[in-house]
Amino acid sequence: MKILLVEDEAKTVAYLQRGLSEQGYMVDVAGNGIDGLHLAMTGEYDAIVLDIMLPGLDGLSMLKSLREHKHTPVIMLTARGEVDDRIHGLQSGADDYLVKPFSFLELLARLQALVRRGRTQETTQLHVADLTIDLLARRVTRGSRRLDLTAKEFALLLTLARHQGQVLSKTVIAEMVWDVNFDSNTNVVEVAIKRLRAKLEEGEEEKLLHTIRGMGYVLESRLGKG
Amino acid sequence: MALPSTHSIARRLALMFSVAAACVFGLAGLALYKMQRAELHRHLQQELDTRYQYVHSLLVRYIGSTEKWPNLVSRLNDLAPPGGKVRYVIEGPDPRFRYGVPFAEGAVVRDDEGVLRIVEPNHSYFAQIGDAEAFGERPTVKLSVAVDPVDFDTSTAKLGITLLASLGLGVVVVGALGWWIARRNLAPVDDLSNAARYLRPQNLAERLPATNLPCELVGLVLSFNGALDRVEQAYQQLYSFSADVAHELRTPLGNLIGQTQVMLSRERPVVELEDTLHSNLEELERLRIIVNDMLFLAQADRGVRAAHAMRVSLAEQIRRSAEFLDVLFEEAGVELSIEGDAAAAIDPSLFARAVTNLLHNAIQYGLPGSVIHVVIKSLDEGVEISISNKGEPIPSGHIDRLFDRFYRIDPARTDSGANHGLGLAIVKAIAVMHGGHVFARSKDGVNIIGFTIASEARI
Repeated sequence: MKILLVEDEAKTVAYLQRGLSEQGYMVDVAGNGIDGLHLAMTGEYDAIVLDIMLPGLDGLSMLKSLREHKHTPVIMLTARGEVDDRIHGLQSGADDYLVKPFSFLELLARLQALVRRGRTQETTQLHVADLTIDLLARRVTRGSRRLDLTAKEFALLLTLARHQGQVLSKTVIAEMVWDVNFDSNTNVVEVAIKRLRAKLEEGEEEKLLHTIRGMGYVLESRLGKG
Repeated sequence: MALPSTHSIARRLALMFSVAAACVFGLAGLALYKMQRAELHRHLQQELDTRYQYVHSLLVRYIGSTEKWPNLVSRLNDLAPPGGKVRYVIEGPDPRFRYGVPFAEGAVVRDDEGVLRIVEPNHSYFAQIGDAEAFGERPTVKLSVAVDPVDFDTSTAKLGITLLASLGLGVVVVGALGWWIARRNLAPVDDLSNAARYLRPQNLAERLPATNLPCELVGLVLSFNGALDRVEQAYQQLYSFSADVAHELRTPLGNLIGQTQVMLSRERPVVELEDTLHSNLEELERLRIIVNDMLFLAQADRGVRAAHAMRVSLAEQIRRSAEFLDVLFEEAGVELSIEGDAAAAIDPSLFARAVTNLLHNAIQYGLPGSVIHVVIKSLDEGVEISISNKGEPIPSGHIDRLFDRFYRIDPARTDSGANHGLGLAIVKAIAVMHGGHVFARSKDGVNIIGFTIASEARI
């Protein structure tokens, strides 16, 4: 998958390029709005990550010009964080926005959501090790053991399973599961994860739901990974 | 900032007084001059008339022969010594009955005022001219009496000059007096400006004196002092906010720097380095949230209002926020009851944030096993949402400061990660963004904290 990153801050570019590449994205970088617009018009990208404050041509103007010809999904990065800016951004054709300082995990989750939009071939069953999630019957089993989950616990597990192997931050989880799009400063996600984990991992069963300190949570099988 | 003063009120008033004085004095002077001139003129005419009538009656009654003529001549010589300002001229066909030097041809003119004048190269006269009918052997003669109006002219000129001089003097005196009066009455303004000059950020409590002022200035001073109140408040808020921010960020920054330096000061296994990175990340995440929340508060401070307002059921919105906090309610063994409902135009995301903060606050500080009551009440000017929980009473000194940034009743609790001290400040900001306000009460072991939202029209 190909991403165009339009950003002028060198350090930001460096870590985003590295992080996204490691996640399997091909990343092209433009350091100003004019180059960005040129690349966006001539290349084929799955998504564009666009900073608002840019030398040459600012992000909003670039987006406006781009939208006259193309509908590549765009995530805006804004340092201003103004309520009006957000609407402005969305009205000007951005598909999503992130306020700086943002977390890389959140950007990753939003990029995936954008790129996945439009190609929704949802499977009916998800598997992680011996965990099976049946989306139609809304039934979860671990080996032969059936898990008794509440609706929210099911939604939480489903979200983690859909992104298995990928670390999801608390903010991302709160947004995906509860549709809460602000940093709530509560420990809701921690408590919910703790409860889910208690039901998911009984006795000697393999640990599947891992906590990554400072980052968030990931659902994956780590057996055989050393 | 200090523009050079383009005009002074005192100077302007003095000038205006002068102009007014010039108008009044000028008109009065002009009238006086005209009247006086007309009066002098009348006197002159009268004199002329008397002289003419006298000679005329002599002529027509007694002077009918050459014997009598010398009598007239001597009389006339007495009346008008040569070189004087009065001249008599008698002309006729008979050379025996003539007197004086006749006026030049065409010297007699009638001026604009209807006065007969005789204009000669060196002299100008007011004149009366008429015929004296024949008497005895004397034929009809033409009698001219001329008076040199030099007195008249000089006195009118003197009058004019006197009037002009007093006009000028009057204008100057009135101007000076006006300036003095204006200065005197504007002195309080000078005092105020002197007082204002000494207003400094270092003594923000300083105000302009509002005593002993003319009523015209009291309003100005009160408004100015009101503005100073607001500036002081904003300044204090900003000052303490910056101090708080620095303080809040200092601890995590110090930890990050120190911890990283320690870890890098010698060779360490990857696991330990990873552990440090994770720990750093936790601190950084906290910093990110604080910075984002502060940016949010800064917007509210700048007067940004809630956008994309939607008219929705508030009870429904609160239920959704409660659903998010469901696990926390269960953990704390606290129940929720929602009373009443109202529809209001809100930004659902902001509203959810405020309610989440308040509910979370109530869960944290509520007694385990108690019920958190949410009451939605329609008011005239909007809607009030109050959230009450049983808990330790909030000391009255703290109640007013609950919504201050980084304010914690118990400063020892600063390190609890979930509580960075901005939660209620954010609630306040959101209330303000919706045209409302916040309130808090603590009574009989029940703490009530809530906010209002203005009806749509006022957002």
